[in-house]
Amino acid sequence: MQEKLKRLLTPEGVWDLLPDMARQKRKLEEKIQELFSRWGYQEVSTPAFEYSANFVGEMKDGLAEQLYRLWDERGRTLVLRPDFTIPLARVAALHLTQAPQPLRLCYGGSIFRQTAGLQGKQRELTQAGVELLGSPHAAADAEVIALAAAVLQAAGLEEFTLCLGHSGFLDSLLSAYQVDLAERAIIKRLFYQRDFVTLKKQVNRLPLADRQKENILRIPTLRGGREVLEEARELLTTEQADRPLATLAEIWSVLEDYGVTAYLQLDLGLVRMLDYYTGMVFEGYTAGLGYALCGGGRYDRLLEHFGPARPAVGFAVSIDHLLTLLTREKKMPALTPPVYVAYGRGGRAAAIAAAQALRTGQTPAILAAAAATAAEARRQAAVRGAQRLLYYSEAGVLDLDLQKAAGEEELDG
Amino acid sequence: MDKEWLTIALAKGRILPPTLQLFTAAGIDCAELSADTRKLVFTVGAQKLRFILGKPADIPTYVEYGAADLGVVGKDILLEQEKELYELLDLKIGACRLVVARRRGSGAFTGGYVATKYPRITERYFQQQGKQFELIKLHGSIELAPLLNLADVIVDLVSTGKTLAENHLEEVETITPITSRLIANPGSYQVKGERVMAFTRKLERVLSVQEEVQ
Repeated sequence: MQEKLKRLLTPEGVWDLLPDMARQKRKLEEKIQELFSRWGYQEVSTPAFEYSANFVGEMKDGLAEQLYRLWDERGRTLVLRPDFTIPLARVAALHLTQAPQPLRLCYGGSIFRQTAGLQGKQRELTQAGVELLGSPHAAADAEVIALAAAVLQAAGLEEFTLCLGHSGFLDSLLSAYQVDLAERAIIKRLFYQRDFVTLKKQVNRLPLADRQKENILRIPTLRGGREVLEEARELLTTEQADRPLATLAEIWSVLEDYGVTAYLQLDLGLVRMLDYYTGMVFEGYTAGLGYALCGGGRYDRLLEHFGPARPAVGFAVSIDHLLTLLTREKKMPALTPPVYVAYGRGGRAAAIAAAQALRTGQTPAILAAAAATAAEARRQAAVRGAQRLLYYSEAGVLDLDLQKAAGEEELDG
Repeated sequence: MDKEWLTIALAKGRILPPTLQLFTAAGIDCAELSADTRKLVFTVGAQKLRFILGKPADIPTYVEYGAADLGVVGKDILLEQEKELYELLDLKIGACRLVVARRRGSGAFTGGYVATKYPRITERYFQQQGKQFELIKLHGSIELAPLLNLADVIVDLVSTGKTLAENHLEEVETITPITSRLIANPGSYQVKGERVMAFTRKLERVLSVQEEVQ
C-alpha cells in the first residue's frame, strides 16, 4: 500500500487540480485570452519542448540553472520551455515575417522551472501574456501596460499597483558619470536585488564626486506619481538620462488617455532582469502578496537573435499567483451548479430530451446513469450540489428547486 | 488586507532586545514586545503596526510570502537563503562575523570535511578558493565537530570568540562581517511604498545620530 501510494503522488512542485479548481482556472484563463483577443492580439501556441540552443544564450538572468533538460533520439538537448517570450520571438522570426507590422501575439500555458526544493515553489507554472512586435513607440509600451491593468481588473482585482521604470535611466546616468562597465554591472545587479546596504558601500567606493554619489543613491527614492519625473530631471541633469524620462512621460500621458494612471506608480530604481530589457519595464503588485503578479517591458534586442531586428514589448501574468489571490479573497469565478436529470420506469426518453434541451441552453445537466426511485434521485442530486432536480417517470415529471428546498429544510431545523 | 497596516517580523532571541531598543529610539511603539509573554503577534493600533515573532531562519520566509511586509534578520541568514528580498537598511545590531575555525594548532586547511549550519555560504566560499571539501550540515554545537573528528574545520557565527576558545578552536579566516538588516518583500515595497519608506527613514535617522556619537 505504501509503495502504491508513493507511486500515485506527484513530484514536488507540481499539482493535480481537482474539480471546481481546474474548471475555475480554465475559466480565468479563457477570460484573459478573450480579453487579449478583444484587444486585437492573436493567440499562438508553441511546443512544450524545444532545442536548448534557442534558450541558452538568450536567457534571462539565472534561468539557465532552472532548465529541465532532456535528450532526443539523436542526442540533441531539448528543454522544457522556461518562458514564452523566446518561443514567440522564434515563431515571429520563422513564420510571421510577412505578417503586417506591428504584430500582436498572445499565449497561455505552462512553463517549467527547476527551483530549490522545500520552499513551496511550483515548478510547472501557468502564464498568460502578450508580445507586441515591431513598434518602437511609447504608445505600444502604454498599450501593453494598459492591457495588463485590464487583465488584473478582469480577474476581479480592485486594488493593485503597477510600478513603472526604465532600464535606460540608471544605465545612462552611470555612463554619463563614466562608471566603468564592470562596476556598472555590479551596481545594476544591486538595484535589481534592491540590496541598498551593499549599494551604499559600493557607490561610496566609486571615484565620483560626492554629489554624483548622492544622486545614484537617491534613485531608489524616486518613486511615486508623475512628479517623480520632474524630480529626477532636476536631480540628474544629464542629457542621456533625459531620453528615458521623456519616454516615461509620454507613456504616462498615453496611460492617462486609457484612464489607468490611478494604478500607476513610477519607480526609477526598478531593474527587471539584467541585460534583457532595453526600455520601459513594469511589474504589478497587490497587497498581501509578496511577489509580482505580472511583469514585462521592452526588449528591442531579443528578436535579432532569431531573425530581422525588431523592437518588441510584452508582459506576462502568473495565473497561479492570481488563483492564489482570488482563492484567498474568495473571488474565484463562480461555476453554475448543474441540473440533475433522473428517471424511473418509462421516463428515460423524456429525461434524455430534457437534459439535451438544458445543455443546448447553456445550463449544465447531469443525466442519471441508471433508473432510480425519486428518493434516490433526490439524494444523488443533493450530493452533486445540483441546483434543481428533474425526475421523469410514467407518472409524469417532478421538478424540484433544490436550492430553495435546502433553504426551507434549514429553516425547519 | 489593509494597505494602511504594516506587519513586521522580528526574530526571537539574541537580536530582539537591541532591535526593540532601536525601534523605541525611532519612536516606534513596541513596548508590549519587551514583556515576557508567549504571545507571537502584537498589535499597536495607534501606529497601525503589527509585530510577529518567529525563529530567525523563518523571518525571510514570512516576508517573502507577504505574511509580513518587513523583517529584521541577520545577514548570515539572508546569505544562506538567497531569497528575492529587498535589503533596505543595515541596522548595525547583532554584530558578529562568519568565520572558518579549526582545532588550535592543527595545520592549514587545504581541503577536507567542513561542518556548518550554513551549507550554501560555505559551499560558495570554498568553491571560490578552489578547495576540495565535503559538507556536513549540523544544526547546533558546531564547535564539537573538530573535537570529535567529524570535520577538519567549521564555518560558524562568532561574536566574541569565547565559545571557540573554550572548545580549543581558533579562527582561521573571516568570511564576512554580519549585522542585522531591515528587509522587505517586493510587493509591500511597492504597494505600501510610502509607509515602508517612512519607516525606513525613521530608523535611518536614529542610526545616523548613533554613528555621529560614535
